[in-house]
Amino acid sequence: MKPSAFTRAALLVYGIAILAFLYLPLVSVGFASVSKGRYLSFPIRRYATGWYGEAMASDTVRDLLFVSLKVAGIVTVLSVVIGFFGALAFARYNWRFRKTYQKLILLPIFFPQTVLGLALLMWFNAIGVIPSWKTAIIAHMVWIAPIATLIISIRAYSFDPALEEAARDMGAGTWTTLREVTIPLLMPGIVSAGLFAFLLSWGNFPLSLFTTGADSTLPEWLYAKMVSGYSPLVPTVGILTVAASATLLAVGLTVPWVLKLVKRKTAA
Amino acid sequence: MSDTTPILRINALTKTFNEFTALHAIDLKVHDGEFLAIVGPSGSGKTTLIRLLVGMDEPSDGSIWLRDQRIDEMPANKRPTCMVFQSLALFPHMTVGQNIEFPLKLRKVAPEDRKARALELLDLLRLPQDYYSKRIDQCSGGERQRVALARALAFDPEILFFDEPLSALDYRLRKALEKELKDLHARTGKTFIYITHSLEEAMVMSDRIAIMRAGRFEQIAPAEEIYARPVSRFVAEFMGEVNLFPIRAGQAEGVTLSPAAASAFGGATGTLMVRPESLQFLEGEEHAELTFAGRIEAEYMLGSRVQYTVTLEGGQTLIAEVLRENAMPGGPGTPVRLGCAAAACHLIAEA
Ligand SMILES: Nc1ncnc2c1ncn2[C@@H]1O[C@H](COP(=O)(O)OP(=O)(O)OP(=O)(O)O)[C@@H](O)[C@H]1O
Ligand SMILES: [Mg+2]
Repeated sequence: MKPSAFTRAALLVYGIAILAFLYLPLVSVGFASVSKGRYLSFPIRRYATGWYGEAMASDTVRDLLFVSLKVAGIVTVLSVVIGFFGALAFARYNWRFRKTYQKLILLPIFFPQTVLGLALLMWFNAIGVIPSWKTAIIAHMVWIAPIATLIISIRAYSFDPALEEAARDMGAGTWTTLREVTIPLLMPGIVSAGLFAFLLSWGNFPLSLFTTGADSTLPEWLYAKMVSGYSPLVPTVGILTVAASATLLAVGLTVPWVLKLVKRKTAA
Repeated sequence: MSDTTPILRINALTKTFNEFTALHAIDLKVHDGEFLAIVGPSGSGKTTLIRLLVGMDEPSDGSIWLRDQRIDEMPANKRPTCMVFQSLALFPHMTVGQNIEFPLKLRKVAPEDRKARALELLDLLRLPQDYYSKRIDQCSGGERQRVALARALAFDPEILFFDEPLSALDYRLRKALEKELKDLHARTGKTFIYITHSLEEAMVMSDRIAIMRAGRFEQIAPAEEIYARPVSRFVAEFMGEVNLFPIRAGQAEGVTLSPAAASAFGGATGTLMVRPESLQFLEGEEHAELTFAGRIEAEYMLGSRVQYTVTLEGGQTLIAEVLRENAMPGGPGTPVRLGCAAAACHLIAEA
């Protein structure tokens, strides 16, 4: 069915309204970061990019960046490894209580993260672990590893177990089968899971707030500065944080596509 | 042939899944270079058997011997056997060439030698050389079939197993590939063990046929023997349209036996099998060794032959197939008499 002119116009307006709703606040943060004044007011009288220079030079920002990167990087690697084997265990083997276990494992995704963070903090205290960026990794894992497992599972369920059997039949051992067949076929899932894991950890605030102790990640610092000590450095760092996410996302989405194109070219 | 050591020997092989027994202590011997077809209805245990033989599953009991070596404890990747899967299991992330070279790569064969062998195999399977760099999803069903075969041949197994590899193809392609497979068997001299649920397919290709029923072998024999002398009603009916008449103390209802035929069956009890093509129309008061009388119910053209469904006087249905030049004019409703020789019939001892 072809939509009528009216429907099409309505859809267009609706689409633009949604995009505006999603992205205008971000744009205003962008404006704030280039405003020379201390507080954002429209129209912006004088523009300045000085805050970006300041952000780059700041030791605080560099430390924050380092903690955030460290946490997100380690969470990504661990989540992907756990997700990979978890997905195989769910998709390949039929064991007792598999379905129940699968649901239990996914449950933390739907818990309010503040409650999860608080629970973990209490637990760390109880066993005498001092919260730091290391405990934040554990907290992030509780929430992100299930998501990574879920993403890789979708891929694992859709692939024919006969492919692995065929590899074994032709002489491949467990490790060779994994390297030659399983990993390459799950690769798209592994890449998406890694991307998700990194971005979710990078942008996470509630879990970090409770579990980083004396350390601080970028989102935590942004919140703290918003509450007290605001300067245009806050929107600047905010924009940089979002820009990093967007860049990673763009790279993550285009690289597989480019690789596919290259492969097709060389194969033809 | 039978006095040499068989390439494969199975002793009392049993497989149970929880409570259910899929294979009941079966025995089998396969000779070197043989083409054996295993035929049976769905769920009879064909796939289960083949998975035990290649090492994908473990038997619950019994033993498997490859020549003089017991192999049922050997892991799948160490066995010199290879299987062509029903789904073919071609690796979608590799090209045709990479698929064929896969077993060679695992054996660390040098890349140039691998490629040379892959091209040779493409040739053997009548695929153009430029398919070497094609992706699997660019190949048609029949081409994939050949790639899977080429890959299995690259592995160079002692025994090549097939699990209904042609079942997904259309009729004409399947017929063509059946012949090619038989030809390939002759050219490679390998031992082929082929699963199918089509007896017709098995007849075209194989030296011997093993008929499977509910986890047991019902009959293992060359095609002609299965065709002419099935051991049970199950085997007879599996082959398609046959006429089966219960026979008690030499008397079969619906059939008039000549004195000679009556003495030939000598008071036997069992089932009398009469193939549609052994029947001929009788003229006038002519009698055959076995005579049937009834009315034509329907007639079907089968090309060079005509098939008739005849309702006998006793109410039974008889299927007859005659050459076109011997067809009966008249069509449905015509009263007819048909006959056949006792030697063309087969007595199945089982009731
Ligand atoms: N993993 C399993 N667990 C439980 N039962 C099984 C399993 N595999 C097979 N079976 C049972 O064993 C019986 C034989 O199955 P099998 O797959 O060998 O049949 P088949 O002859 O290959 O049939 P088809 O022609 O449909 O492929 C079936 O009743 C099936 O339900
Ligand atoms: Mg099967």
